[in-house]
Amino acid sequence: MAGQTDPSLSIFSGEEVEFMAEDEMVEIVPNMRMDPLNMLCGDFGPFYPQMATQVPLWLAIAMKKRGKCTIRPPEWMSIENLTRILEAERDSQAAFQVLPFHYVEISSLLFEYAPDDIPDIYMVRSLINDIRDVRFHKVETSLESFEEAHSSAVMVKDLSAMEVNLVRPFVGRALQAFYKHGSPELVPNPDGMSARRLQATDNIPRIDWNKFYIAYRLLSHAL
Amino acid sequence: MANYYDIDDIIMEQQLVPVVFQKAVNGVEIDPSAETDYVEAGSKVELPLWLAYELHLKQVVKMKVPACFNHRTKLELGADGAAVDLRSRCLYFYEFGCKIAPLIGDRDMGSFLLSAFRTRYQQILAKAHNAAFTAPSKLLSFLTKEETNLYEAAQSSMAAFKKWRIGGPRFERASVLGRKRKSTD
Repeated sequence: MAGQTDPSLSIFSGEEVEFMAEDEMVEIVPNMRMDPLNMLCGDFGPFYPQMATQVPLWLAIAMKKRGKCTIRPPEWMSIENLTRILEAERDSQAAFQVLPFHYVEISSLLFEYAPDDIPDIYMVRSLINDIRDVRFHKVETSLESFEEAHSSAVMVKDLSAMEVNLVRPFVGRALQAFYKHGSPELVPNPDGMSARRLQATDNIPRIDWNKFYIAYRLLSHAL
Repeated sequence: MANYYDIDDIIMEQQLVPVVFQKAVNGVEIDPSAETDYVEAGSKVELPLWLAYELHLKQVVKMKVPACFNHRTKLELGADGAAVDLRSRCLYFYEFGCKIAPLIGDRDMGSFLLSAFRTRYQQILAKAHNAAFTAPSKLLSFLTKEETNLYEAAQSSMAAFKKWRIGGPRFERASVLGRKRKSTD
Protein backbone atom coordinates (compact mmCIF):
# COMPACT_ATOMS: atom_id res chain seq x y z
CA MET A 1 0.00 0.00 0.00
CA ALA A 2 2.48 2.58 1.10
CA GLY A 3 5.26 2.94 -1.38
CA GLN A 4 8.39 2.54 0.69
CA THR A 5 11.77 1.36 -0.43
CA ASP A 6 11.83 -1.59 1.93
CA PRO A 7 8.63 -3.56 1.40
CA SER A 8 9.15 -5.79 4.41
CA LEU A 9 8.90 -2.83 6.74
CA SER A 10 6.23 -0.84 4.97
CA ILE A 11 4.70 1.93 6.99
CA PHE A 12 1.63 3.96 6.37
CA SER A 13 1.93 7.69 6.22
CA GLY A 14 -0.17 9.78 8.54
CA GLU A 15 -2.42 10.69 5.64
CA GLU A 16 -3.07 7.05 4.83
CA VAL A 17 -4.02 6.22 8.39
CA GLU A 18 -6.29 9.23 8.37
CA PHE A 19 -7.88 7.99 5.16
CA MET A 20 -8.70 4.67 6.83
CA ALA A 21 -10.12 6.48 9.84
CA GLU A 22 -12.60 8.26 7.59
CA ASP A 23 -14.61 5.05 7.33
CA GLU A 24 -15.64 5.29 10.97
CA MET A 25 -19.28 6.16 11.50
CA VAL A 26 -20.36 9.43 13.09
CA GLU A 27 -23.73 10.93 13.82
CA ILE A 28 -24.81 13.98 11.88
CA VAL A 29 -27.85 16.21 11.99
CA PRO A 30 -28.68 17.31 8.44
CA ASN A 31 -30.41 20.57 7.75
CA MET A 32 -31.80 19.63 4.37
CA ARG A 33 -33.87 16.89 2.81
CA MET A 34 -32.15 14.39 0.57
CA ASP A 35 -32.85 10.93 -0.83
CA PRO A 36 -30.78 8.00 0.41
CA LEU A 37 -27.28 7.74 -0.99
CA ASN A 38 -26.53 4.28 -2.36
CA MET A 39 -22.80 3.82 -2.22
CA LEU A 40 -20.61 0.80 -2.76
CA CYS A 41 -19.82 0.80 0.96
CA GLY A 42 -23.46 0.95 1.99
CA ASP A 43 -26.64 3.01 1.89
CA PHE A 44 -26.85 6.19 3.89
CA GLY A 45 -29.84 8.32 4.59
CA PRO A 46 -32.52 9.32 3.76
CA PHE A 47 -31.77 12.70 5.22
CA TYR A 48 -34.42 14.86 6.88
CA PRO A 49 -33.81 18.19 8.59
CA GLN A 50 -33.10 17.83 12.32
CA MET A 51 -33.21 14.02 12.18
CA ALA A 52 -29.94 12.52 13.34
CA THR A 53 -28.45 9.79 11.18
CA GLN A 54 -25.25 7.75 10.94
CA VAL A 55 -22.82 8.30 8.08
CA PRO A 56 -19.10 7.65 7.56
CA LEU A 57 -16.79 10.42 8.58
CA TRP A 58 -15.76 11.24 5.02
CA LEU A 59 -19.38 11.84 4.04
CA ALA A 60 -20.00 13.85 7.18
CA ILE A 61 -17.02 16.07 6.38
CA ALA A 62 -18.12 16.49 2.78
CA MET A 63 -21.59 17.56 3.89
CA LYS A 64 -20.22 19.75 6.65
CA LYS A 65 -18.01 21.60 4.19
CA ARG A 66 -21.09 22.45 2.14
CA GLY A 67 -22.97 23.57 5.24
CA LYS A 68 -25.56 20.78 4.94
CA CYS A 69 -25.25 19.33 8.44
CA THR A 70 -23.78 19.58 11.89
CA ILE A 71 -21.65 16.76 13.24
CA ARG A 72 -22.38 15.39 16.68
CA PRO A 73 -19.08 14.73 18.41
CA PRO A 74 -18.79 11.10 19.52
CA GLU A 75 -19.60 10.27 23.11
CA TRP A 76 -16.02 9.55 24.08
CA MET A 77 -15.07 13.11 23.14
CA SER A 78 -16.83 14.62 26.13
CA ILE A 79 -14.74 16.47 28.69
CA GLU A 80 -15.82 14.19 31.55
CA ASN A 81 -14.89 11.03 29.69
CA LEU A 82 -11.56 12.39 28.48
CA THR A 83 -10.62 13.64 31.94
CA ARG A 84 -11.42 10.24 33.36
CA ILE A 85 -9.33 8.50 30.68
CA LEU A 86 -6.40 10.85 31.19
CA GLU A 87 -6.40 10.20 34.92
CA ALA A 88 -6.62 6.46 34.41
CA GLU A 89 -3.78 6.57 31.88
CA ARG A 90 -1.62 8.42 34.36
CA ASP A 91 -2.50 6.09 37.20
CA SER A 92 -1.59 2.76 35.69
CA GLN A 93 1.73 2.29 34.01
CA ALA A 94 0.87 -0.97 32.31
CA ALA A 95 -2.67 -0.87 31.02
CA PHE A 96 -3.96 1.32 28.23
CA GLN A 97 -7.46 2.69 28.39
CA VAL A 98 -9.92 1.64 25.74
CA LEU A 99 -10.34 4.36 23.19
CA PRO A 100 -11.55 4.13 19.60
CA PHE A 101 -8.91 2.62 17.34
CA HIS A 102 -8.71 5.83 15.31
CA TYR A 103 -9.15 8.36 18.10
CA VAL A 104 -6.15 10.47 17.06
CA GLU A 105 -7.30 10.81 13.48
CA ILE A 106 -11.02 11.24 14.20
CA SER A 107 -10.41 13.97 16.73
CA SER A 108 -7.95 15.75 14.49
CA LEU A 109 -10.37 15.64 11.54
CA LEU A 110 -13.23 16.94 13.67
CA PHE A 111 -11.09 19.76 15.06
CA GLU A 112 -10.19 20.78 11.57
CA TYR A 113 -13.56 20.58 9.80
CA ALA A 114 -16.16 20.92 12.51
CA PRO A 115 -14.67 23.12 15.24
CA ASP A 116 -18.01 24.86 15.81
CA ASP A 117 -19.78 21.56 16.58
CA ILE A 118 -17.54 20.59 19.48
CA PRO A 119 -18.33 22.23 22.81
CA ASP A 120 -15.27 23.45 24.72
CA ILE A 121 -12.99 22.66 21.82
CA TYR A 122 -9.83 24.02 23.46
CA MET A 123 -10.30 21.87 26.50
CA VAL A 124 -11.07 18.78 24.44
CA ARG A 125 -8.12 19.37 22.18
CA SER A 126 -5.65 19.76 24.99
CA LEU A 127 -7.06 16.72 26.81
CA ILE A 128 -6.64 14.57 23.72
CA ASN A 129 -3.11 15.87 23.20
CA ASP A 130 -2.28 15.05 26.80
CA ILE A 131 -3.74 11.57 26.51
CA ARG A 132 -1.76 10.95 23.37
CA ASP A 133 1.49 12.08 24.96
CA VAL A 134 0.97 10.01 28.09
CA ARG A 135 0.10 6.96 26.04
CA PHE A 136 3.07 7.32 23.77
CA HIS A 137 5.39 7.59 26.71
CA LYS A 138 3.87 4.38 28.03
CA VAL A 139 4.43 2.68 24.71
CA GLU A 140 8.11 3.56 24.92
CA THR A 141 8.35 2.29 28.47
CA SER A 142 6.75 -1.00 27.58
CA LEU A 143 9.06 -1.40 24.58
CA GLU A 144 11.96 -0.98 26.96
CA SER A 145 10.73 -3.83 29.09
CA PHE A 146 10.45 -6.26 26.21
CA GLU A 147 14.15 -6.68 25.77
CA GLU A 148 14.60 -7.43 29.45
CA ALA A 149 12.33 -10.41 29.23
CA HIS A 150 13.95 -13.44 27.68
CA SER A 151 11.06 -14.12 25.41
CA SER A 152 11.64 -11.08 23.19
CA ALA A 153 7.96 -10.38 23.13
CA VAL A 154 5.86 -7.65 24.59
CA MET A 155 2.19 -7.45 25.29
CA VAL A 156 0.69 -4.05 24.60
CA LYS A 157 -3.07 -4.02 24.43
CA ASP A 158 -5.48 -1.40 23.14
CA LEU A 159 -3.05 0.60 21.10
CA SER A 160 -4.55 2.92 18.54
CA ALA A 161 -3.82 2.98 14.83
CA MET A 162 -1.61 6.04 14.93
CA GLU A 163 0.41 4.79 17.86
CA VAL A 164 1.00 1.43 16.21
CA ASN A 165 1.96 3.17 13.02
CA LEU A 166 4.46 5.35 14.86
CA VAL A 167 6.44 2.53 16.39
CA ARG A 168 6.01 0.01 13.59
CA PRO A 169 9.24 0.64 11.65
CA PHE A 170 11.32 0.73 14.79
CA VAL A 171 9.78 -2.33 16.42
CA GLY A 172 9.80 -4.31 13.21
CA ARG A 173 13.49 -3.77 12.75
CA ALA A 174 14.30 -4.34 16.39
CA LEU A 175 12.40 -7.63 16.43
CA GLN A 176 14.20 -8.77 13.31
CA ALA A 177 17.53 -7.95 14.90
CA PHE A 178 16.64 -9.74 18.11
CA TYR A 179 15.51 -12.73 16.12
CA LYS A 180 18.69 -12.80 14.09
CA HIS A 181 21.02 -12.58 17.05
CA GLY A 182 19.05 -14.90 19.25
CA SER A 183 18.58 -17.60 16.62
CA PRO A 184 20.15 -21.00 17.22
CA GLU A 185 22.26 -21.01 14.07
CA LEU A 186 24.95 -19.01 15.83
CA VAL A 187 25.92 -22.03 17.87
CA PRO A 188 28.34 -23.85 15.63
CA ASN A 189 28.27 -27.48 14.76
CA PRO A 190 31.34 -29.29 16.12
CA ASP A 191 31.98 -31.64 13.19
CA GLY A 192 33.16 -29.26 10.54
CA MET A 193 29.73 -28.62 9.08
CA SER A 194 29.91 -24.98 9.97
CA ALA A 195 30.46 -23.90 6.42
CA ARG A 196 27.33 -25.52 5.17
CA ARG A 197 25.34 -24.17 8.07
CA LEU A 198 26.35 -20.71 7.08
CA GLN A 199 24.48 -21.08 3.83
CA ALA A 200 21.58 -23.10 5.10
CA THR A 201 20.31 -20.68 7.68
CA ASP A 202 16.92 -20.47 6.05
CA ASN A 203 16.25 -24.13 6.81
CA ILE A 204 17.02 -23.89 10.51
CA PRO A 205 13.95 -24.72 12.59
CA ARG A 206 12.56 -21.44 13.72
CA ILE A 207 12.32 -22.02 17.39
CA ASP A 208 11.78 -18.49 18.53
CA TRP A 209 10.06 -17.27 15.46
CA ASN A 210 6.52 -17.83 16.69
CA LYS A 211 6.99 -15.47 19.56
CA PHE A 212 8.38 -12.82 17.30
CA TYR A 213 5.67 -13.35 14.81
CA ILE A 214 2.94 -13.07 17.40
CA ALA A 215 4.44 -9.91 18.77
CA TYR A 216 4.77 -8.50 15.30
CA ARG A 217 1.23 -9.42 14.38
CA LEU A 218 -0.06 -7.86 17.53
CA LEU A 219 1.54 -4.64 16.51
CA SER A 220 0.36 -4.85 12.93
CA HIS A 221 -3.13 -5.66 14.07
CA ALA A 222 -5.88 -4.44 11.80
CA LEU A 223 -3.66 -2.44 9.51
CA MET B 1 19.74 -14.96 4.66
CA ALA B 2 20.76 -11.66 3.25
CA ASN B 3 19.80 -10.71 -0.23
CA TYR B 4 22.43 -11.43 -2.89
CA TYR B 5 22.21 -7.85 -4.12
CA ASP B 6 22.23 -6.33 -0.66
CA ILE B 7 24.97 -3.71 -0.78
CA ASP B 8 25.46 -3.81 2.98
CA ASP B 9 26.03 -7.53 2.82
CA ILE B 10 28.60 -7.06 0.06
CA ILE B 11 30.47 -4.36 1.94
CA MET B 12 30.35 -6.43 5.08
CA GLU B 13 32.17 -9.25 3.32
CA GLN B 14 35.06 -6.89 2.66
CA GLN B 15 35.94 -6.89 6.35
CA LEU B 16 39.44 -8.17 6.93
CA VAL B 17 39.89 -11.36 8.88
CA PRO B 18 43.27 -12.47 10.21
CA VAL B 19 44.08 -15.93 8.91
CA VAL B 20 46.95 -18.38 9.22
CA PHE B 21 47.91 -20.41 6.18
CA GLN B 22 47.83 -24.11 6.95
CA LYS B 23 49.48 -25.14 3.72
CA ALA B 24 52.22 -23.66 1.63
CA VAL B 25 50.73 -22.06 -1.45
CA ASN B 26 52.47 -21.44 -4.70
CA GLY B 27 51.77 -18.74 -7.26
CA VAL B 28 49.84 -16.25 -5.16
CA GLU B 29 50.78 -12.65 -4.66
CA ILE B 30 49.19 -11.35 -1.49
CA ASP B 31 51.88 -8.86 -0.63
CA PRO B 32 53.19 -7.00 -3.69
CA SER B 33 56.45 -6.22 -1.94
CA ALA B 34 57.26 -9.88 -1.34
CA GLU B 35 60.20 -11.27 -3.24
CA THR B 36 58.61 -14.56 -4.17
CA ASP B 37 55.10 -15.52 -5.21
CA TYR B 38 55.06 -18.15 -2.54
CA VAL B 39 53.27 -18.22 0.82
CA GLU B 40 54.72 -20.43 3.50
CA ALA B 41 52.63 -22.54 5.79
CA GLY B 42 52.06 -20.76 9.09
CA SER B 43 52.25 -17.23 7.74
CA LYS B 44 49.72 -14.78 9.13
CA VAL B 45 47.81 -12.63 6.64
CA GLU B 46 44.68 -10.51 6.73
CA LEU B 47 42.20 -11.42 4.02
CA PRO B 48 38.70 -10.13 3.27
CA LEU B 49 35.96 -12.39 4.54
CA TRP B 50 34.76 -13.57 1.14
CA LEU B 51 38.23 -14.84 0.26
CA ALA B 52 39.02 -16.18 3.70
CA TYR B 53 35.71 -18.05 3.67
CA GLU B 54 36.48 -19.85 0.41
CA LEU B 55 39.98 -20.74 1.54
CA HIS B 56 38.60 -21.86 4.86
CA LEU B 57 36.28 -24.29 3.05
CA LYS B 58 39.28 -25.79 1.27
CA GLN B 59 41.08 -25.93 4.62
CA VAL B 60 43.93 -23.87 3.29
CA VAL B 61 43.68 -21.24 6.02
CA LYS B 62 42.54 -21.14 9.60
CA MET B 63 40.64 -18.08 10.76
CA LYS B 64 41.54 -16.13 13.86
CA VAL B 65 39.26 -13.91 15.90
CA PRO B 66 39.09 -10.47 14.24
CA ALA B 67 40.17 -7.45 16.20
CA CYS B 68 36.66 -6.14 16.75
CA PHE B 69 35.69 -9.27 18.68
CA ASN B 70 38.74 -9.44 20.90
CA HIS B 71 38.66 -9.81 24.61
CA ARG B 72 38.93 -6.11 25.32
CA THR B 73 35.91 -5.22 23.23
CA LYS B 74 33.92 -7.91 24.96
CA LEU B 75 34.87 -6.52 28.34
CA GLU B 76 34.01 -2.98 27.30
CA LEU B 77 30.65 -4.02 25.92
CA GLY B 78 29.96 -5.94 29.08
CA ALA B 79 30.77 -2.93 31.22
CA ASP B 80 28.81 -0.24 29.43
CA GLY B 81 27.54 -1.38 26.10
CA ALA B 82 25.83 1.84 25.16
CA ALA B 83 28.97 3.96 25.39
CA VAL B 84 31.21 1.83 23.19
CA ASP B 85 32.06 3.23 19.80
CA LEU B 86 31.28 0.24 17.63
CA ARG B 87 31.14 2.26 14.45
CA SER B 88 34.88 2.78 14.38
CA ARG B 89 35.62 -0.85 15.21
CA CYS B 90 33.35 -2.42 12.66
CA LEU B 91 30.49 -0.74 10.84
CA TYR B 92 28.77 -4.09 10.35
CA PHE B 93 29.50 -5.43 13.80
CA TYR B 94 26.47 -7.70 14.18
CA GLU B 95 26.29 -9.04 10.65
CA PHE B 96 30.01 -9.70 10.65
CA GLY B 97 29.74 -11.42 14.00
CA CYS B 98 26.92 -13.65 12.81
CA LYS B 99 28.88 -14.64 9.72
CA ILE B 100 32.15 -15.30 11.41
CA ALA B 101 30.98 -17.04 14.56
CA PRO B 102 30.64 -20.52 13.02
CA LEU B 103 33.92 -20.10 11.12
CA ILE B 104 36.06 -19.35 14.11
CA GLY B 105 34.10 -21.76 16.28
CA ASP B 106 33.02 -19.17 18.82
CA ARG B 107 30.09 -20.64 20.71
CA ASP B 108 29.44 -17.55 22.81
CA MET B 109 29.24 -15.16 19.89
CA GLY B 110 25.47 -15.40 19.57
CA SER B 111 24.72 -14.61 23.17
CA PHE B 112 27.45 -11.98 23.22
CA LEU B 113 25.97 -10.17 20.21
CA LEU B 114 22.50 -10.46 21.66
CA SER B 115 23.46 -9.00 25.01
CA ALA B 116 25.41 -6.21 23.33
CA PHE B 117 22.47 -5.40 21.14
CA ARG B 118 20.12 -5.47 24.11
CA THR B 119 21.96 -2.85 26.10
CA ARG B 120 22.44 -0.66 23.07
CA TYR B 121 18.84 -1.12 21.96
CA GLN B 122 17.63 0.47 25.16
CA GLN B 123 19.78 3.50 24.56
CA ILE B 124 18.56 3.86 20.99
CA LEU B 125 14.95 3.48 22.08
CA ALA B 126 15.32 6.22 24.65
CA LYS B 127 16.90 8.64 22.21
CA ALA B 128 15.24 7.82 18.92
CA HIS B 129 11.66 8.82 19.60
CA ASN B 130 12.50 11.89 21.65
CA ALA B 131 15.38 13.64 20.00
CA ALA B 132 13.48 14.40 16.83
CA PHE B 133 14.49 17.65 15.16
CA THR B 134 17.61 18.13 17.21
CA ALA B 135 21.13 18.07 15.91
CA PRO B 136 22.49 14.59 15.30
CA SER B 137 23.53 13.41 18.71
CA LYS B 138 26.81 11.97 19.78
CA LEU B 139 25.10 8.64 20.07
CA LEU B 140 24.72 8.43 16.32
CA SER B 141 28.48 8.44 15.79
CA PHE B 142 28.78 5.29 17.91
CA LEU B 143 26.15 3.22 16.17
CA THR B 144 26.73 0.47 13.69
CA LYS B 145 24.93 0.40 10.38
CA GLU B 146 22.10 -1.73 11.67
CA GLU B 147 21.58 0.42 14.75
CA THR B 148 21.63 3.54 12.62
CA ASN B 149 18.88 2.07 10.46
CA LEU B 150 16.86 1.43 13.57
CA TYR B 151 17.42 4.95 14.84
CA GLU B 152 16.51 6.50 11.54
CA ALA B 153 13.39 4.41 11.18
CA ALA B 154 12.14 5.75 14.49
CA GLN B 155 13.15 9.31 13.67
CA SER B 156 11.47 9.31 10.30
CA SER B 157 8.21 7.94 11.64
CA MET B 158 8.20 10.60 14.36
CA ALA B 159 8.91 13.29 11.80
CA ALA B 160 6.16 11.99 9.52
CA PHE B 161 3.71 12.04 12.39
CA LYS B 162 4.60 15.61 13.32
CA LYS B 163 4.23 16.66 9.74
CA TRP B 164 0.81 15.08 9.56
CA ARG B 165 -0.28 16.70 12.80
CA ILE B 166 0.80 20.17 11.80
CA GLY B 167 -0.94 19.65 8.51
CA GLY B 168 -0.42 21.86 5.54
CA PRO B 169 -1.81 22.15 2.08
CA ARG B 170 -3.85 19.02 1.61
CA PHE B 171 -3.88 19.24 -2.12
CA GLU B 172 -0.88 20.45 -3.99
CA ARG B 173 -1.49 22.32 -7.15
CA ALA B 174 0.16 20.69 -10.11
CA SER B 175 2.79 22.97 -11.54
CA VAL B 176 1.26 22.90 -15.01
CA LEU B 177 -2.07 24.26 -13.81
CA GLY B 178 -1.00 27.66 -12.65
CA ARG B 179 0.96 28.51 -15.75
CA LYS B 180 -0.30 31.14 -18.08
CA ARG B 181 -0.80 30.14 -21.63
CA LYS B 182 1.84 31.40 -23.93
CA SER B 183 0.82 33.36 -26.94
CA THR B 184 1.66 31.20 -29.88
CA ASP B 185 1.84 33.58 -32.77
